[in-house]
Amino acid sequence: MSEKTSIALLGQPNSGKSTLFNALTGLHQHVGNWPGKTVEKKEGSFTHDGKEYDIADLPGSYSLSANSDEEVITRDYIASGKADVVCIMADSSQLERSLFMTADYAGITLPCFLILNMADVAASQHKAIKVSELEQKLGIPVALISANDKKEYDAFFKALEKAVSEKKRLNCESLEKGYSEIEGYEELKSLIPENLINGYSSMWIASKALENDPVILAKLKNAVDTQTMDKIDSIRNNVQGAVATGSAKFSWIDEQLEGIVARQSQKVTLSKLDRLFTHKTWGKPAVILTVVLGLIASFIPALPLMGVGMAIASLKAPVASALVSIGCPDLIVAFICNVFIQSLSFIFQMLGFVFGVTLVFGLLEEAGVMARVSYVFDNTMGKLGLQGKSVMPFLVSFGCTMGGAAGTRVIDNWGQKVLTIALAWAVPCGAAWSVVPMLSTLFFGPGAVLIIVVILLTMILHMYITAKIFGRGLVKEEDRFGMIMELPPYHKPKWGALLRYVLGRTKDTFIRVTKVVLLVCTIFWLLSYSFDGSSEPILYKIGTAIEPVTKFFGMNWQLFIAFIASSIGKEGALGVISALFNGGNFSGAFYDAMSGAELASDLNTTLLSNVSKPEALAFIFAITFNMPCVVALAATYQEIHSAKWTARIAIYYTVGALLLAMIAYHIGMLIW
Amino acid sequence: MKLGELDELQNAVVTKLEGDHRFISRITSIGLTPGCRLQVIKNDRNRPMLVYSRDTMIALNRKECEGIEVTGVEA
Repeated sequence: MSEKTSIALLGQPNSGKSTLFNALTGLHQHVGNWPGKTVEKKEGSFTHDGKEYDIADLPGSYSLSANSDEEVITRDYIASGKADVVCIMADSSQLERSLFMTADYAGITLPCFLILNMADVAASQHKAIKVSELEQKLGIPVALISANDKKEYDAFFKALEKAVSEKKRLNCESLEKGYSEIEGYEELKSLIPENLINGYSSMWIASKALENDPVILAKLKNAVDTQTMDKIDSIRNNVQGAVATGSAKFSWIDEQLEGIVARQSQKVTLSKLDRLFTHKTWGKPAVILTVVLGLIASFIPALPLMGVGMAIASLKAPVASALVSIGCPDLIVAFICNVFIQSLSFIFQMLGFVFGVTLVFGLLEEAGVMARVSYVFDNTMGKLGLQGKSVMPFLVSFGCTMGGAAGTRVIDNWGQKVLTIALAWAVPCGAAWSVVPMLSTLFFGPGAVLIIVVILLTMILHMYITAKIFGRGLVKEEDRFGMIMELPPYHKPKWGALLRYVLGRTKDTFIRVTKVVLLVCTIFWLLSYSFDGSSEPILYKIGTAIEPVTKFFGMNWQLFIAFIASSIGKEGALGVISALFNGGNFSGAFYDAMSGAELASDLNTTLLSNVSKPEALAFIFAITFNMPCVVALAATYQEIHSAKWTARIAIYYTVGALLLAMIAYHIGMLIW
Repeated sequence: MKLGELDELQNAVVTKLEGDHRFISRITSIGLTPGCRLQVIKNDRNRPMLVYSRDTMIALNRKECEGIEVTGVEA
């Protein structure tokens, strides 16, 4: 067999699907979106025993119903026949519940095999599973593994090869016996001939019709005549179908597991850690502390890349003098040093942070900690239309918005992911915190504390309003149901596979982010560069021309250009102001300032003599709530794969910042 | 009675599920079907409920619990 074999990976969230997928594919994976859908698509390939395999990680879903895009995509992919075999994952420590996906799969004609993951957790709970007996009962290959231990993958490959060569289907006789006791099932099934809809047996279709599955009903409507459809409709309307088929599936699971799982009965108790996380009073502080510690821990793996970034920046001076000495034109020298090297240095420093955040929070996710975060913040985040996990990117964004964006990888719903990033932008990042308190103290003395409090309150209001504005389009009303999820047992994450995966993602992020950042920085640089050395750059001309308008927002042209510059990076905003007020060579000073050159020693005097208090207030609000920086913009695009939504969020923030500045300015005018 | 009315550590059996199509599908897929036993682990206001059923610790939003009818049983 020279053809590649295609595998589709199917499993409930927390079944260890991603761990297995990452371990198998390593760097050979590709992340995109399902065509026309806002659901992440992960595909990869691997070789075993000289045979090549393609593998698709289907979106995590709890069942094969049609309640979400994820579930419909999963089903369509399986029915499309693109895969040769389906690998169903279950959690062997919670076998009874996690075999539900297998029960729901029964009746789909594509061959499959079953992987019982988390063997280590099951063993620690003193559960022993008789694999070969289960294999006989189910009629498909079964393997018990720990996805976090590569030594155990032999069993996986054996089951895979057996499934591919024998093409076995799940044995569903006794499941059908259970179904047939449901009122109306037999009659329904008699109306549905075999092979009516490709990929599904008539048993499967009849059970889904009983569950009032809208997609299957629509397919049936196309496949049968009106009279038959009327009959089908009258039968399925008579019963509380989904409850009955659900019970039948679980009775079937109980039957399959009888005599298969030997266990010592244990009293159910929460572990010490869970008692803390679920505590009425201490749960929230414990979660926040966990995330903050995670954030601090992120700096450890981040440091090497950050060091590379700084080393790149130090190349500027020697490269510039080398280029000048070989007679390179000024324009090129300026471009290479001020745009190219500067951007790369910036990107590497941020990338270090992204790498650290993805690794640390990936570990927390795999270990089961993120599920606890979800639990604790479910109520609070639910008000914004988000899941509890969204609190993590928000907290990370106080450090760096790009890290926050990378942190949304643990959110499994695309709409909620975009909404989380959109809200995370409102959280003032480390760069804002390095500028804002200093500016506030300079202008308002002890009043700075009050300004910071108002900024934090504005942030909460901003997030609330933004959630209202974007929420409707991103998280549909009918998708906003409360939490129904399991708290998985804690378990040891797989370092190697995760590290490879994170490295791969960081590389992807680097490529994409570099493109966007170079593009934006080049445009900005062209606007601020004075080509013949004497004429004013375009940015200056625009700035002074629209000053009457920007004045309304409380910004004269210098402040407005500094505001625009803060979209590239907030750290540079103060330097830009000082460069602009001091006159001099506009573009040179401008780019030196943006790259973090020493602030002029008389900055304070310059600011106080040129900027009024209401203007300062307006400027503080403008840069705090402006888009975080160009790298965050690029990272947002990288995470959500949508140029449209990235642009929407960016424009929204630019306009929002100007509006806030205007309000602040006019309030300031009333006070002073 | 409703699931939410149970006290912590009380055992119960699910008797009835009510709600829309999505809810039923979701709640059965996590293992809560009529006849199944569960134990309440946590029931604090302003937090999802924690129940243990079919070897699994399940977190349930309080509003969702409204659709789950149970009868208490002895441990």
